[in-house]
Amino acid sequence: MNLRFGYGTNGFANHRLGDALAVLAELGYDGVALTLDHHHLDPYAPGLARRVSGLATRLMELGLSVVVETGARYLLDPRRKHAPTLLHDEREVRLDFLLRAVSIASDLGAEAVSCWSGVRPPSVDPQLAWDRLVDGCARLTEAASKAGVPVGFEPEPGMFVQDLAGWRTLHRALGMPRVFGLTLDIGHCRCLEPEPIPDCIAAAAPYLVNVQIEDMRRGVHEHLEFGEGEIDFPPVLRALSAAGYRGLVGVELPRHSHAALEVARRSLSFLRKAAGQPAAAVKPPAAPGQRRPTGAVPGPEVLRAALACVDDGGWLDEALRRVAADPSVISRLFPAAARRCGRGPVGVPGWTADEAARAVLLATLPAERTGAQVRALYRYGDAAEKRAVLRALPMLPIGASAVELLHDAIRTNDTRLVAAALGPYAVHLDAAAWRQAVLKCVFMEIPLSVVDGLEHRADAELAAMLAGVADERGAAGRRLPADAAALLERLTAEKGI
Amino acid sequence: MRIFDPHVHMTSRTTDDYEAMAAAGVRAVVEPSFWLGQPRTSPGSFADYFDALIGWEPFRAGQFGIRHFATIALNPKEANDPRCREVLELVPRYLDKDAVVAVGEIGYDSMTPQEDEAFAVQLGLAVEYDLPALVHTPHRDKVRGTQRSLDVVRESGIEPGRVAIDHLNEVTVELVRDTGCWLGFSIYPDTKMSPPRMVELLRRYGCERMLVNSAADWGRSDPLLTLRTGEAMLAAGFTEDDVDRVLWRNPVEFYGASGRLDLADAAEVDAAGDASGPTGEFAGNSIKRGGA
Repeated sequence: MNLRFGYGTNGFANHRLGDALAVLAELGYDGVALTLDHHHLDPYAPGLARRVSGLATRLMELGLSVVVETGARYLLDPRRKHAPTLLHDEREVRLDFLLRAVSIASDLGAEAVSCWSGVRPPSVDPQLAWDRLVDGCARLTEAASKAGVPVGFEPEPGMFVQDLAGWRTLHRALGMPRVFGLTLDIGHCRCLEPEPIPDCIAAAAPYLVNVQIEDMRRGVHEHLEFGEGEIDFPPVLRALSAAGYRGLVGVELPRHSHAALEVARRSLSFLRKAAGQPAAAVKPPAAPGQRRPTGAVPGPEVLRAALACVDDGGWLDEALRRVAADPSVISRLFPAAARRCGRGPVGVPGWTADEAARAVLLATLPAERTGAQVRALYRYGDAAEKRAVLRALPMLPIGASAVELLHDAIRTNDTRLVAAALGPYAVHLDAAAWRQAVLKCVFMEIPLSVVDGLEHRADAELAAMLAGVADERGAAGRRLPADAAALLERLTAEKGI
Repeated sequence: MRIFDPHVHMTSRTTDDYEAMAAAGVRAVVEPSFWLGQPRTSPGSFADYFDALIGWEPFRAGQFGIRHFATIALNPKEANDPRCREVLELVPRYLDKDAVVAVGEIGYDSMTPQEDEAFAVQLGLAVEYDLPALVHTPHRDKVRGTQRSLDVVRESGIEPGRVAIDHLNEVTVELVRDTGCWLGFSIYPDTKMSPPRMVELLRRYGCERMLVNSAADWGRSDPLLTLRTGEAMLAAGFTEDDVDRVLWRNPVEFYGASGRLDLADAAEVDAAGDASGPTGEFAGNSIKRGGA
């Protein structure tokens, strides 16, 4: 199971944000759910742009993904918890906050912005509350669509929209826009959903952009540490994996800040065990400029949600429908994707519209046809199509069977293809081929930051090869590129070569 | 001077050529698929060649800040080799590609029945894939070859404004002038056209629908003859706007009919013609050598 675990910063309320991030990265988390709050990236304090940009850099250095959460208790009103919501008379205040959150999320390269309806104030009748909610969500969705950030709307027990049925009604009322997705809290499912949690996940899969997780008991909305409630987690995690969900699974324990570090450590260990993942050793603190491997691959549903910001006149929707009905038509739709969807960035860091659309098309193929189609599309693809295939490989149900495409790409002298071949799927390259490819990057001056897992896969043999290059360069009066020199230096220091 | 060379076989050229072309103001090129000096004997050779035209060659061009587009077809000479006929089944796959802006070079070499068929089939593909067509006119028996090409174009039903008849000269120009097709002229050091002769044709027939190319390939040729023609036009009293029309706006209009001519960045060129040299980047990289 290749799930990615995160932790909510609202469970680190007594830590500085920077410290919380460092600790979570050290513990081995893949990402954070960042609750914007007065002490954590206050969106109303001065110097926001500078702080956001600094945080983006820090997240990248730490190799942490991020989703933005908007559930701070007293950020907008010091006297009334969570107020005003989109349902209040002063709903514009909430909307302004949510729009700021969207723009921050976009600048951070966040995978989603999460929000909820809030509790209906007694003075607002249900119909008016509903109209206000739909209007607010529509305006939020429009902004999120422009920014290329998926919205994860979270049903929350006790709130106006408290369950999946309520979310579905709201989704329909909004016209089912792709950018309007679902934040699913696993504990909430146990608390009040009529179906078993794995069934909730399967039903919600197409809309899932963010997942929160903790233990809970039936009928009691209290976020509990793992093992203290009633949830059987292995089937839940299997269901998330089976649903193809690739976003963050974020631990949501906002009332455990007093023991944040221990709770976060125990939680990750519990989740890894429940997911059948090896318990990774705690990583050393990451220094600025160093990036640990993330293995982060956005799921096709994340890419598809991000593509909602692209004006393709409905082309992608129609293309996906056609591919689902007849997989062979992908051979003509795949090359047309860049002309139809454009080549600009979408909200997912590192992804452009053409590559995202092509990845989503590939992910739509039935599993038994995927391998053959992937090979044919690569074989007859232009460089951009080949790149899209290479980047989509880790999302597809093909195991290691397409590793020959990496060998083909690495044989070329096209930097675009060599770089794309060294993403997460390169885990299937044997050590010798992988080292040769890394060395080729050095020769081609491809930044080593494209090499997924470099930090943990680089070994003594690679160090020896790099040292050889350094010697030859030295003899010619030339130097290694800075990133290669830094890598060599680190490996030499670590391994005592 | 900004230059769009609508017909040049860069596969056969060196990086020195790219460097000189960039310095001369060449910002975009179209490389039509054609025959190589050595005949090919299997469809597989064509697939690799087409792949290079939409893969490696644009990458090479990009290192010098030059946008590279291609036209794809089974050329008339090799259409006569039965071992290469299956290439016609391969061509459609490539006509869907972003950087493929026309079907070509099609037309006649020896005017055989096999060439008739390949020509007609591929004009049909141009209609089906909504692409312009680039028509090569033969070296031997050129007048009748040109006439027959125009007949086939007419019968195909393709709109004449989406067809360029290439390698014209003083003898064949009038056959095409009133057909609505575009007129292509290849400027060569010895054969085909020269810059002074080209200037004379522009004086007589005007600049409308006129395309000037170097057609530089593996034979004796010069990819800077587009620039030399522009200079000769200015020396002969044509305005800079005339030169821009012939060397940039005309080819952009012709290939732009494909809907795929993405010239973002490339069109932002200083009118003074100051080339920045080989500082272009491709996909964020600026790799100048392929020695890895």
